[in-house]
Amino acid sequence: MKKILVVDDAATVRMYHRKILGDAGWHTDEALNGVEALERVHAQEADTAFDLYVVDINMPRMDGYSFVRELRRLHARHQAPVVMVSTEARSQDASGAFDAGANCYLVKPARARELVLTAALLLGDRDAALKAAAGVNA
Amino acid sequence: MALKKVEYPRDLPGLLAQLADADAGVRRWAARDLAQHPKAATALCARLGVESDASVRAVLFSSATQLGGASVVNAMVQLLRSEDPGLRNGAIEVLAGLPDAVAPHIERLLHDADSDVRIFTVNLLGDLQHPNVPRWLAHVLMHDPVVNVVGAALEVLAEVGVAESLPALHAAKARFADDGYIGFSADLAIARIGSP
Amino acid sequence: MTVGTKPGIQAAVPPISDADFQKFAEFFYRKTGIHFDDGKRYFVDKRLVERIQATGAENFRAWFVALRFETDGAELQHLVNVMTVNETYFFREAYQFDCMVNNLLAEVVARKQPGSRVRIWSIPSSTGEEPYSIAIYLLERWPDIDRYDVEILSSDIDTAVLQSAQRGIYSKRSVAQLPHAYLKKYFTPHGADEFRISRDLVSAVEFSRVNLSDPADMRRFRDVDIIFCRNLLIYFDDLSRRVAAEAMYDTLAPGGFICLGHSESMSRMSSLYTVRRFPDAMVYQRPLEAGA
Repeated sequence: MKKILVVDDAATVRMYHRKILGDAGWHTDEALNGVEALERVHAQEADTAFDLYVVDINMPRMDGYSFVRELRRLHARHQAPVVMVSTEARSQDASGAFDAGANCYLVKPARARELVLTAALLLGDRDAALKAAAGVNA
Repeated sequence: MALKKVEYPRDLPGLLAQLADADAGVRRWAARDLAQHPKAATALCARLGVESDASVRAVLFSSATQLGGASVVNAMVQLLRSEDPGLRNGAIEVLAGLPDAVAPHIERLLHDADSDVRIFTVNLLGDLQHPNVPRWLAHVLMHDPVVNVVGAALEVLAEVGVAESLPALHAAKARFADDGYIGFSADLAIARIGSP
Repeated sequence: MTVGTKPGIQAAVPPISDADFQKFAEFFYRKTGIHFDDGKRYFVDKRLVERIQATGAENFRAWFVALRFETDGAELQHLVNVMTVNETYFFREAYQFDCMVNNLLAEVVARKQPGSRVRIWSIPSSTGEEPYSIAIYLLERWPDIDRYDVEILSSDIDTAVLQSAQRGIYSKRSVAQLPHAYLKKYFTPHGADEFRISRDLVSAVEFSRVNLSDPADMRRFRDVDIIFCRNLLIYFDDLSRRVAAEAMYDTLAPGGFICLGHSESMSRMSSLYTVRRFPDAMVYQRPLEAGA
């Protein structure tokens, strides 16, 4: 089963994203800042590495960009697509996300359907993508 | 022997000079020692604007928090607008550690034109023990036009919400009836308030 | 922190609701990194009720509000004390000593000439179980012990505890995790049911009084290769933890390692360290780059 790491300093956001992604059929874990996220990454065994990262930008201790930059320096087995999710709508923040190594950028609040569809596409989960597009997981 | 005497001038002018040394280790030690010198607050905060080394920045922020005071708070409020998320988040952490000194700025910041500044300010309210906090949060829930600012207020209320917060929580749900996250987190805050 | 005092018979504290448990669990996780799920309800609820009663609070809400806004961190410290197990004994969390001899030392000496110094620092020393455990591990399980000049430093803020460490007398419980062969080799029976550690080991450790929060104390330590700082920082408030983690960074040589307690994490303290995962343990490393 695909596994997603949700990284956000707000507990309710983590809860909400995990619920949406869990309802779509994926396993999830969480971290509240970039350092804890790196610890979660390192704690995975080779065969249970994360398949997707959903990462907030503004977090204390280590922000989302720094986490993604560090992630991209790690061994290949830890690499997976990154969706950055943030309140910021400034265009340079999207390019900052791509410069750091993210694959996708969503502006908060991400509609549940949008998050699920994005995740499904990046995970290569065709069934979930079709369901989300049809509005089943709205 | 592990114990070594370290010789360098430890007076205020000496330390301030070392804040600009070419060696990051020297700068870091200076930043650390300056936490004992209240008069260094302005220089420490000014250095944050130009310091490129993350380890020195971290100590500058820690020392700023230890010093506290109005000039530190003013400098951190300026940094809330920085383009650099590391500086913004560092400033937020400092402010979160100085709740009483930041209180006089709250009202103004909650009406800042920049919605991100309003979000950071709402986040600070979670650490602030001030009689106006419930009123400030209620105001955000009922009037702030930006959904993410309201979301930030709901996050805080999930932990500190009280019975008096309930009308504002329902108002927020009604204002953003289409938003899944607002509904979810408002319901959570309402459930957490429970019965007294 | 006292929230209120009730004369006469104290009313029973109402049971902890699910919502209150979640509120507490989120707060505690944010502060300490320790995660309590529903399986721990009995354990946690019991202790919450104890703390509510101990502070004289009327109910969970009153206690929680006081906890969130206290300025001295005292109640949080009480809370961490009751929620965690604080015993010290030989070979406690030994997987980190395994990591030291299996991986960390190899990386440390890769950058050194034979005969040069390897410096290991145990703080807090408490009553000595940790630095002596390190010494035993090095002697028994590190093949290269004779190729390098190993220094074991150990520090504590409490001089009484340092004296006790140098006296080196331990209970049966304290040595219970030691393989019998090591107990025989490094200890002699003392009195009816205690053990005294060999004088050779006592003299192998350099003890000092150090306050982790005092920059002047910390400045005395440089070029440390491995720090063991376990189950101490968890009792500090947010700012003191950061300051201590940052100060330890400067005591480490570039590439040096730091081991925290099993439920502690740099994620609540500092982003300066690199996370390193080894087969036996996850540890933190000061980056190798010059000036970093």
